[in-house]
Amino acid sequence: MWNKFKNFLPPWMGLLFGLVLCCLITPFFSEQPWHVFKVLVSSAFQSKYDFGLTLYYVTCLIFTGLSFAIPLRAGLFHIGSEGQLTLSAMVAACLAATSFFKIDSVFMNISFVFLITLISGAFAALIIALFKYFRGSHEVVIAIMLNFIFSALSLWVTVNYFQNPNSQNPESALIPENLQIFINDPLKIYFEKSPVSLFFVFAVVCCLILFLIERKTTWLQKINAYGKNRHASRRHGFSELQILMTAMGLAGFFSACAALTEIFGNSMQYKIGFSPMFGFLGIAVSLLARQNFLGILFSAFLMAALHKGASDLDLETQYLTRDFSKVLQAVIIFSVAGSYYAFNYFSKKRNKS
Amino acid sequence: MINILLSAFRMSLPTLFATIGGYFSEKSGVAQIGLEAFLLTGAFTAASVAYGTHSMGLGYLSAGIMAVLIAQIFCYLVLVVGANSIVIGTGLNLFVLGVIPLVSKSLFQSTGSTPAIETNEFALAMTFLIFLVAVIFSYWLSEKTLWGLQMKFAGEKKEALKATGISALQRQWQAISFGAFITGLGGATLSTFLASSYSPQMSAGRGFIALAAVIFSGWNLPRALIVSLVFGLCEALQIQVQTNPEISAKIPGEFIQMIPYLVTLIALLFFKSKNQAPQEIA
Repeated sequence: MWNKFKNFLPPWMGLLFGLVLCCLITPFFSEQPWHVFKVLVSSAFQSKYDFGLTLYYVTCLIFTGLSFAIPLRAGLFHIGSEGQLTLSAMVAACLAATSFFKIDSVFMNISFVFLITLISGAFAALIIALFKYFRGSHEVVIAIMLNFIFSALSLWVTVNYFQNPNSQNPESALIPENLQIFINDPLKIYFEKSPVSLFFVFAVVCCLILFLIERKTTWLQKINAYGKNRHASRRHGFSELQILMTAMGLAGFFSACAALTEIFGNSMQYKIGFSPMFGFLGIAVSLLARQNFLGILFSAFLMAALHKGASDLDLETQYLTRDFSKVLQAVIIFSVAGSYYAFNYFSKKRNKS
Repeated sequence: MINILLSAFRMSLPTLFATIGGYFSEKSGVAQIGLEAFLLTGAFTAASVAYGTHSMGLGYLSAGIMAVLIAQIFCYLVLVVGANSIVIGTGLNLFVLGVIPLVSKSLFQSTGSTPAIETNEFALAMTFLIFLVAVIFSYWLSEKTLWGLQMKFAGEKKEALKATGISALQRQWQAISFGAFITGLGGATLSTFLASSYSPQMSAGRGFIALAAVIFSGWNLPRALIVSLVFGLCEALQIQVQTNPEISAKIPGEFIQMIPYLVTLIALLFFKSKNQAPQEIA
């Protein structure tokens, strides 16, 4: 029983500790800790709309959490999700807004847009894998450079070729009404037209499928084995290139899914800077879940609720702003990392006694 | 041409400081992607202190010290707790990005820029002097002292250093803290030398560029500084091109902004350093 707890308790204790620590630092900014705590934990459940908005964050965080978790299983620190998300969002919005595929069938049109978007996300991530395999470059450096490049590229393409003629803001034109198929989906209607959409269901299904694949097949186990011991997996005959490509390809695929969630499920257009660092928040989600696919569902919900709460601090407090969300995420990352040390320390003491 | 070269040196000053900072951390065996956090901390602290005290010297000193204080979170979590340095570095960048606007709002009632500070010729000359001292001292410390040798051994083979009775953890801790101090000074040049106030996210990825320079140079300090200067040259060219209406009409500004990052990728694609990463990082 203790061993089961030992695996899953540390990150959650770390989360709790991080949350308390964050509230305790609020007096330095002339705010009441209890009030801030209340805003953080209750904001997500104020109304149906608020809960729907939280579920939208959950959807994006599940996707970016998976995008970090899968490469991490192969021993790769994938911090390029933000760049892939930006590129894919631009591709999806621009293809859809211009009705790039001149096909009458809405289903076929949407399918092609989705396909190209997912391919663009996967391709963007594969660049990292190729650099890693052929040039031995560190994946973190390549990912950082690509994040900047994709951001500038998306800005250029959107502003110069697909700018919304009815707006001064840097954003693409709205996608045609016949392609806005998620604008009236059952989830959106139930949650009073909030940003949540059926992509939430897809995100949950993805986690379940990955969980089953991991349990029932050797496909993901190869990635795990490679991450645990590269030398042994090479000796066993696993193709290193294939593993890197699979892990990074899936990571790019899920980053693109987060982009589709925003474009087709929420704003129906690409707005520059729409992501409140979903790509980086995915790191905290994944760490909290210890890369467990079912755990990501819960950790994404928790982080989304906290993110929603932190976003409301602008309105609910005098000195704290939505930037507090970043502090919260960072402190949670620190606390979760520290919690393993604390648990190992106590476990050793327990074994000795 | 001389103007471009001078502008390149001027533009690359923060990156050069961060390169030295990154070198010490990486060479001691700890991957460092938190340079961006140290730069921003230094930039904000220097601008705030220089504004409050009207002393540029105090601004620089406090920038370095504050970066060292922030680095202690990183050191403790990575070296004592054993957390992954990439994850903690990412967390540190997030932390600083979130904390600065909050502190700024408390101090200056603004989540954006700090108030403008007065600069004079002496302050500008002081920046070059600090850079010169930093480069010479860092090179001497790394290449000519016993401490430098021990720091490199901490990065290559911890066990060998331990066998001689020296704590690898101590050397790594010192190297990261020293690197953070130097990078903090680089941050100070951002807000007091290249600009006259702090503005949000003004480091604009220079910490990452510095890290790329260290890796690309094969963890060699003089070469890393030269690579940083090349990046600075790209940045200077970018500004020259953007201010030239004829060229900027033909080449979009967004492409010009990409230049340093594209150059890094192309360089990593075509040139491979013979030097291996410090073994404790690899």
